[in-house]
Amino acid sequence: MYSCLSGLFLIRFLEIIKVEVFAVNRNWMKVFVAAFLEIFWVIGLTHAYDFWTWTGTVICIIVSNYLMITAAQVLPAGTVYAIFVGLGTAGTVIAGFLFFGEAFKWEKVILIATLLAGVMGLKLVTPDKAEKGAES
Amino acid sequence: MAWFTLIIAGLLETFGVAMINQLSVKRNWQTVILLILGFGSSLALLSYSLQFIPMGTGYAIWTGIGVVGGALIGMIFYGESKDWKRMVFIAMVLCSVIGLKLIT
Repeated sequence: MYSCLSGLFLIRFLEIIKVEVFAVNRNWMKVFVAAFLEIFWVIGLTHAYDFWTWTGTVICIIVSNYLMITAAQVLPAGTVYAIFVGLGTAGTVIAGFLFFGEAFKWEKVILIATLLAGVMGLKLVTPDKAEKGAES
Repeated sequence: MAWFTLIIAGLLETFGVAMINQLSVKRNWQTVILLILGFGSSLALLSYSLQFIPMGTGYAIWTGIGVVGGALIGMIFYGESKDWKRMVFIAMVLCSVIGLKLIT
């Protein structure tokens, strides 16, 4: 009985995750791609060593910020900026211990988990067409 | 001096986020230029400050001011949601970022 109920809750929970968190429209996609590119330019700023790596870094900076700013024309800017900074930081830390041999710490994993939980929460509480559009 | 420039860098970042908001209200070149100047001077002051302040601490404070400031300005001046859940989630992201910057 108990396990059956908790099973139902789990299914409902996964449904919410599937429908709400991964219902990614154009603007959310922009935020995520912007954050992903941010990882590359943050790495580039410390590791670029010649003309081509610097060019790549600059292109990443421009495209990443352009996407973030255009997404914030529809979604609330405060939310978009927090997610942009947050996912960028998480990605950079993960890249740090995957590719640059930085120390693996459990604290980092826990903080990345709370960060992702926060991002998913923000995704959930943000209406797709934020009230901005209705107001102005 | 370095702490002072760090705080100014954070405030300029807040100004940059405000300009992103402003752009959605009124789309013109002046706003775009202010936006680029805001973030540009913010980064310049940040990198100056980081010569004297440890990297993790400096970044954490700078990001903190920017995200909190950006969210507050959005709520006060641009009609963004004041839902407590939204604030809790922004705080969660922010605290995790500050924690990561401090231990990395």
